[in-house]
Formats: sequence, structure tokens, C-alpha cells
Amino acid sequence: MSTPASPGPSAAADSAAAPAPASTGPYRVVVVDDHAMFRTGVKAEIGQAVRVVGEAADVDSAVAAVTANRPDVVLMDVHLPGGGGVEVLRRVHATMPDQRFLALSVSDAAEDVIGVIRAGARGYVTKSINGAELVDAIRRVAEGDAVFSPRLAGFVLDAFSGAIDVAAVDEDLDRLSQREREVLRLIARGYAYKEVARELFISIKTVETHVSSVLRKLQLSNRHQLTRWATDRRLV
Amino acid sequence: MTEGSRVQVPPAGPVPPAPPAPPLALPPAVAEPASRPRASRVGDGAMVGGVCTGLARHLGWPVIAVRIVFVALAMFQLIGVVAYGALWLLMPAQPVVSAPGLESASRAGLRDQRVARRRRDWGPVVALGALGTGLLWLVQSSPLGVSDRLFWPVAFACVGAALVWRQADSTQQRRWQAEAGGRAWLAPFVARGGWPALVRVIVGLGLVGAAFGLVVAQQGQISQLPEVMAMTTFALAGLAIVVAPWVHRSRTALNVARAEKVRADARADMAAHLHDSVLQTLALIQRQSDDPRAVSQLARRQERELRTWLYGEELAGTTLKTALAAAAAEVEDERGVPVELVVVGDADPSEALQALVQAAREAMVNAAKHSGADKIDVYAEVGEESIEVFVRDRGRGFDLAAVPEDRMGVKGSILNRMSRHGGTATLRSRPGDGTEVRLEIRR
Repeated sequence: MSTPASPGPSAAADSAAAPAPASTGPYRVVVVDDHAMFRTGVKAEIGQAVRVVGEAADVDSAVAAVTANRPDVVLMDVHLPGGGGVEVLRRVHATMPDQRFLALSVSDAAEDVIGVIRAGARGYVTKSINGAELVDAIRRVAEGDAVFSPRLAGFVLDAFSGAIDVAAVDEDLDRLSQREREVLRLIARGYAYKEVARELFISIKTVETHVSSVLRKLQLSNRHQLTRWATDRRLV
Repeated sequence: MTEGSRVQVPPAGPVPPAPPAPPLALPPAVAEPASRPRASRVGDGAMVGGVCTGLARHLGWPVIAVRIVFVALAMFQLIGVVAYGALWLLMPAQPVVSAPGLESASRAGLRDQRVARRRRDWGPVVALGALGTGLLWLVQSSPLGVSDRLFWPVAFACVGAALVWRQADSTQQRRWQAEAGGRAWLAPFVARGGWPALVRVIVGLGLVGAAFGLVVAQQGQISQLPEVMAMTTFALAGLAIVVAPWVHRSRTALNVARAEKVRADARADMAAHLHDSVLQTLALIQRQSDDPRAVSQLARRQERELRTWLYGEELAGTTLKTALAAAAAEVEDERGVPVELVVVGDADPSEALQALVQAAREAMVNAAKHSGADKIDVYAEVGEESIEVFVRDRGRGFDLAAVPEDRMGVKGSILNRMSRHGGTATLRSRPGDGTEVRLEIRR
């Protein structure tokens, strides 16, 4: 599964030229969006907290920018000329499977949200998100955790809903545990991870673990219900 | 400029907050006739090529019945298989219609197109194979009595005809062309237009011709005239088969063009409406640029309308989802506080549900009015036994014990309303920690 990108002692030998992703300093981010105005806006908003090392406006330039810069996080629009964010994910992950992506979009359509997550993005936020929240989301993705907006949590609950005959489901992947369901429900209710942790008397780390586990299931599950829910919305 | 409701703005002085912008009254999306759907191949729930599912929807029969009929027919000299193959070619693929924003993003190549396609890869191949085998079988078992000597000519003819028939399904071609990378060996045969199509037709006709020639060469003697005559008939029939797709296709193309025109007109109307409403909002924003609250309110409202129109699910009728969305929109407009709404599941309207929505609306209004929060989260979940709605803000909160008895907002509109309809309302708040109202009714 995803190994942490922060270089351990062994990775130091890899390449001295490649700027090591600093685990303490500001995270290095590539911004991919076909609207220059939006890129400028995002850079102005998050430029203080993270380092924007590259920009791209379409699939090809995005793949090039990501491959050249190897950022901690790629902040990427779902809709991009040349095949969309999903295509970028596919091509980058073919050579750099650990590259982390945070998707954002104005769309909010279920097929886009679930589609990009299933293609390998570690989080999804809408473009109306404010600067502080966006920086927080980038940090979370950079640290290897998942970012679920209330809407995404709602989609997942919807997709994994329905009566589950536990005996018939041998794949753990295909259902959410009671705890994961509780966490998602709180996120859908607008709770931040910190608040979820306090509400359930667990640590933030545990909340993050649950969310990451849900992300994994969402990406890997072939659960019949999920597929049907997805086809109802015309995606697979 | 036929709009009668131009908003008059006083030239100076305090600007009135948010003059009522005309709601975005869009014409209903392309008016689909309410009659039975046209017979078309269906992608969702297809087993092979989607013919049975499409036919079942057209006839209003259960899918399983149609499938059984086809399987049963297949027992008799593979008639079912042949019919399936023919229908697969004749029935157009069902066009996938999504929200306009998504559709245009797809057209512009902004979205991923490959995922949705994966499912039906084998449909065309299987259908083609079935058609070929079926024809072969029919000929073999017919009184014409094709001997081993004639087998290859006949096979050639079948393959040739199939190759030409292939031309008929242009949607499949486009698909395969897009996938040519993965199937290079197929691409020349299925790519749209240009010389590959020509080559395909020539090869197809050549194969049919070769079949005919082979037969004539093998049966050089006049004594076998009846057989040669029969083969001639067969060749003519083959020619008819070859030509039929074009006739069919040009007819289909005409229909498609007509439908396309209707759709384009509807789109133009919608675009005009949309631009009009956005332009109005922009004009209003410029006029009120010194009132940040009004500006953000206008922008928010416009964003919501646009987002719903472009990417929203089509919500029909009054369900829990639509009712809550409407309530949230009202509160947003009236109070200028964004409401984030997430609904899991949906339920049909009822009296109790109406009370639930009203109570939720009241809770949203309270949060917008008193909490000072910059956002309200609303989450509704339709469960097996109950429906829950949570309204939450991260505002200043209050001490529950300190609420005076006569505060009608909370007591009357929320708590009492819920209990009247057999539901419950729970309030959770602490000073400095925001407020959450939980509403629940049994289904």
C-alpha cells in the first residue's frame, strides 16, 4: 500500500538532486487547473503556508510538471482538457504510484467525486473551500491521510448503504465497520476530525486511520451495492 | 430584453439588501415524450449487448421474460441468436444524457471517458460472432444443402457481409477508434470513415464475390444449373444484405439530425436564460459593490443556481431531498449564511416529513440568526426505521438552561412540532461550542 513519501535514511541515497520533501518545512504543491484565474487565486490564498512549485493547465503539462517536481501533493481540478483529472492520476501513478493527489472541483457530481477517488486521489474538496481549510487538507494528504468533505462522506454512506447480510459478505472491503460508519456520519454532519475524535472519545490519529480505511475500501471494493449505486449514476 | 422585472435600484443612499432577482426559470430539459421509450440498446444492466434490456423497456415487459424468449428461440435453429444479432445492429445505442455541465465537460475532453466504457467491450464481438454463426447454421441446415465443397464460399460470403454490416453501427466505431491503442488489430476495421471504411467495404464485397466465383468455378457444368441458380439467388440476397445498412443508416441519420436540432434549440434557450441570469447577478453585484454582505449573498445564490443546473441531479417532485434543499436555499437567501446540505437516501412526502422539514428549517433559521457562525451544516439520513436530520453550526452556542420558557422559536417550532408528529428533537449546545439540533421521526 502507500508507503510514506517522507524519505527515511534509505531514500537519501536515491538522488541528491531531487529536492527532498521536507517533513517539517512548507509542503511542496503543484497546482493543476485549466483556469489561470483560479490558479492565481489559490496561489495567493495558500502561498503563505505551502510552496507552490509548479503549475499546469491540462493533462499533458500536469503529468510533466508532477514528474519533474515530485511535489508532496498535487492539487488538481477534476475537469481538465485532455481527459480529466482521472487521466492524470492514471498516467502519473503508472510511474509514481505513491504520488499524492487532492482533487477539487466545482462540480460536486457524484460520478466525478467517486470517479476521481476510485482513480486514486486521496481526498476531494469543493472549490468554495476557504484558504485555511485548503491548507489543512493539503497537509493531511501530504501526511498520507485522506480528506473527506461532508459531501463525499454522504456519497460514501449512500453507496455503502442498504441492508448488509454480514454472513454473506466475506470481503471486509465490501462493508464499512460500525466505527467507520459513525466517523463518516459525523463528518457528513460537518464535524472536523478533531471534533469527531472528541465526540467518539478516540484520538485524532484513530479518526484518520478510519477515514483512510474507508478511502481504501472505496478504491478497492467491488461491492455489488457500490457498483449498482454507481451505475445508477452512470459510472463504474 | 423582454424581461418585465428589471430591478430598479435607487441612485443613491443605502442600497436595499438583495433585491429579488428573478429566479432562474429554466424551461424543462428537452421535452421527452411521456410515451414508451424508443427501443434502444441499453448500457446499464446489459448482459451481452443490452438488446433484451432495451427491448424489455420498450415493450414494458420484465427483462427476464424477454431473455427467456430469446434463449428459447435460440434452441430452434439458433433463431434467437440471429434475431439478437440483427436487433443489435438495428437498435441504436441509447444515448447517455447527463447534466449539461457534465455533458459539455465530456465533449470538451475535460472528463475521463474510458471508465464507463469498460463494461460493454465484449457485447459487439459476441453479437457479431452470434450473427455469423447463426447465418452459417441457417445456410447449413437449409434445403440448399451446402456440401463441404461449398462451405468456404459460404463462409466467405458471411464474413464479407458481416464486415459490411459492421459499417452500420457508427457509435461502436467511434468507441473502438478511441480504444484503438489497446486493440490495434481491430482499429483499421472499425475506425470511422476514410479509407479504412472503404477498404472494409471492398474486402466485404470481394469476399461475397469470391464466394460466388468459387461456386461458379466449382460447378462449371450446365447440368447443375438449378444449383447455380440457387447460388445466384443467394448472392443477390447477400447483395441486399450489403445494401440494407445504408438505407437503414441514412434513415436513422435523418431522425438523429431532427432530434439533434430540437435538442440544439432547447440548449440555446437554456443558455440564453442562464446567461441572462448570470448577467443580471453581475450587474447587481456591481451596483452593490459597497455592501459586501449583499454581494456575497448574490454570488452565493447565483452559484447555487448554476451549480444545481449544471451538475445537480434531477430532483423530481417533492421528496425529502428537494424539500430540504429548498428550505436550505431559502435560509441562505434570507439570512446570507451558506448552508451545506448532505442527504443520504430519500423519502416520499408525508405529513410527518413536512413537519420534519419545517422543524429543520426553523433550526437553520435559528442558527443563521443567533449563532454568528459562517456556515451551517445540515445532514439528513433516511434509515430503515427512522429519518434523522442534524442541523449544526459552529457558532457561539448558548446555555440550554438559560433559555427563557417563552422562546417560541425553539420550543414551539421545533420541539413541539416534532412531538406532535411522533418525533423527537434534541438540542445540544454549550456556550462557545456551537449548537446541534437533532430531529428524528419514525418512518
